[in-house]
Amino acid sequence: MKTQKIRAVRNLRLCSKDCLCLYVCPTGATDTETGQIDFQKCIGCGKCAMACPAGAISMVPYQYPKQQEKSNRVVQRLNTVLKSKVEQEHIAYQLYQNSSSQVEKQFLKAIIRSNRLLAEDTVREAGYMLPQSRNTHEFLKPLLDSKEEDFPKDIVNELLEILECNES
Amino acid sequence: MKKYVCKICGYIYDEANEKVKFDDLPDDWKCPLCGAPKSMFQLLEEESENIKEKNIENNPVVEEDMREMTYGELSALCSNLSRGCEKQYLSRESELFKKLSDYYDKKSKEKNEDNYNIDALIDKINNDLETNYKKAREISEKEKDRGALRIITWGEKVTLILKSLLTSYQSKGEDSFKDKKIYVCDICGFIYVGNEVPSICPICKVPSFKILEIGKEVR
Repeated sequence: MKTQKIRAVRNLRLCSKDCLCLYVCPTGATDTETGQIDFQKCIGCGKCAMACPAGAISMVPYQYPKQQEKSNRVVQRLNTVLKSKVEQEHIAYQLYQNSSSQVEKQFLKAIIRSNRLLAEDTVREAGYMLPQSRNTHEFLKPLLDSKEEDFPKDIVNELLEILECNES
Repeated sequence: MKKYVCKICGYIYDEANEKVKFDDLPDDWKCPLCGAPKSMFQLLEEESENIKEKNIENNPVVEEDMREMTYGELSALCSNLSRGCEKQYLSRESELFKKLSDYYDKKSKEKNEDNYNIDALIDKINNDLETNYKKAREISEKEKDRGALRIITWGEKVTLILKSLLTSYQSKGEDSFKDKKIYVCDICGFIYVGNEVPSICPICKVPSFKILEIGKEVR
């Protein structure tokens, strides 16, 4: 585990390629073929963020604070919305599968996408904001007991290993 | 002289500044700001009525104890966490959650039904607008949960747009999309049909580069 508290990240859309970060970085972490900072090399000194004229580099923590508590009543209500949006995505997908019209398929694809985004955002507000939260870990752990033969346990194992939990 | 407000983006059609009375505008007239149809406008004075309407039944929340999530819900939960990791630049974690989401998505699609129609979608949308969002809003206001109120506000607007698009598709068929492109805001799910994408999303206010075109199906 990293001992430092923060690291630099680059927003590629904002980066204006003035490259001052390359000159000030003491470890070479800012110069990579992917455009993103090399997180293994970054020591979190913040010099690149201070030097960047475009404001494209920001410093983010390794450890995030505990996510906001949600009341059970709100979670239950949002889960009802979630259920409905997922069902609508499913209906739109079935219609998409059975449609032979190019234009109708395009429209249904937009409806599928829109409902998926609504479902994601709703479940986020229903207690799954932060991937490092206890909720996420408590969701993942029981999946290892899945009886489904094709269930990808290796994925869940790796996630539980690399994803930190910020609530004890 | 009356004023009408767009329920999606808040644009005001003020008859005092316009040549045409609102009622005389053609049915296919659209909000100049966000492209919402004419039916999305309401008389400005009507707003106070809405507040009265809010004293919905105060019945206790039905205990839906730790219910099992469906495959579809599990998929959405995992794709949400994937996006969360992506925002934190945790690329491996994001990829793993995406794979898990795809697994559940595939499972959910194994169940194949062909007895659906557009009406089934509109029924669900009406139930969201008349019941699910209203109840969620009432509880969130009581709990002062502004994060929940945010998704309820955005979600209601996106759902209203979906309803009007589906209704228009039912009556006009594919003509609703003639010579027009279809876009979805990648943040809030707002659907825009037309050729001039708003410079910011009328619902979540993200700049237009996050409003993505949905391509035509290639055969």
